[in-house]
Amino acid sequence: MSGKDFWIDFIRTYFMIVTLITIVMCIVGKVVMPEQTFGYEAFTAPLIDGFVGTVPNFVLYSKRELRVKELLVRKVAQLILIEAAVLFLSLYGADQSWREPRIVGILIGSVFTVYMVGTLISWIVDLLSAKSLTKELQEFQRANEG
Amino acid sequence: MEIKIFKVGKDKPEEVEIHCHEMTEEVREIVAFVKTRQGQLTGMQEGKQFEIAVTDLAYVEAVDNKVFLYTQKQVYETKQKLYELEELLREKYFLRVSKSMLLNLMKVGSIKPAMNGRMLAVLKSGEEILITRKYVADLKRALRGERAD
Repeated sequence: MSGKDFWIDFIRTYFMIVTLITIVMCIVGKVVMPEQTFGYEAFTAPLIDGFVGTVPNFVLYSKRELRVKELLVRKVAQLILIEAAVLFLSLYGADQSWREPRIVGILIGSVFTVYMVGTLISWIVDLLSAKSLTKELQEFQRANEG
Repeated sequence: MEIKIFKVGKDKPEEVEIHCHEMTEEVREIVAFVKTRQGQLTGMQEGKQFEIAVTDLAYVEAVDNKVFLYTQKQVYETKQKLYELEELLREKYFLRVSKSMLLNLMKVGSIKPAMNGRMLAVLKSGEEILITRKYVADLKRALRGERAD
């Protein structure tokens, strides 16, 4: 992966995570703390958490092209690092209410869900693209045979 | 080197004749170019020289400054550079799919995802070749008959 590709990936992941964190905060907030109100500073939380969640992307960087299995191992490492970062933010960065084991558990679970949903969406997009390419390839081969 | 071109009638075969003082690298390159245009490549295997039909090639790979030609069962080393082969084999349905590899699109059976926007080309022989994200767009263009940049 080139440095340029890495940064494009970094920015794309950042915005995807920010969007998903906002959705999760909305859903979890409505279920767990429906009376809670926030000031404008609440808008910064997904941006900061999104950045913290994107920094572990460095685990995926490699000058040579990684094999599928190698990439899978690094993705697991990335998820563990993201979970660790969120745990750290929850225990040392947020207010007291975020340190309750139940809330920490929900956060860890939410991060896992967000990561898996993100990976699944990306995989489905790639799968559809691969199917379309296979179809185009077969047409290409038929047109150029003989 | 002086270049002379003589037109011949349809009843005579077309031919290229090279008159040289010695067999230099430059002469070898010219010979390799002509052979490639005719659908042949020269490859070395265990010190012996082989003529390989371009249509038999599945892919070409550069490893540690050496270039290898892969058919379904054999591997040959060639003196030609990957970028030279890329240019010469473009019209024979070969496409660069990563920094070090050219793939014969006619030998690919299907394409499947390989995570992070990359693809795996599954050859008709079952072998899998990684198409890096940078070259997936080129593959799309090539399959649609558009020339890659």
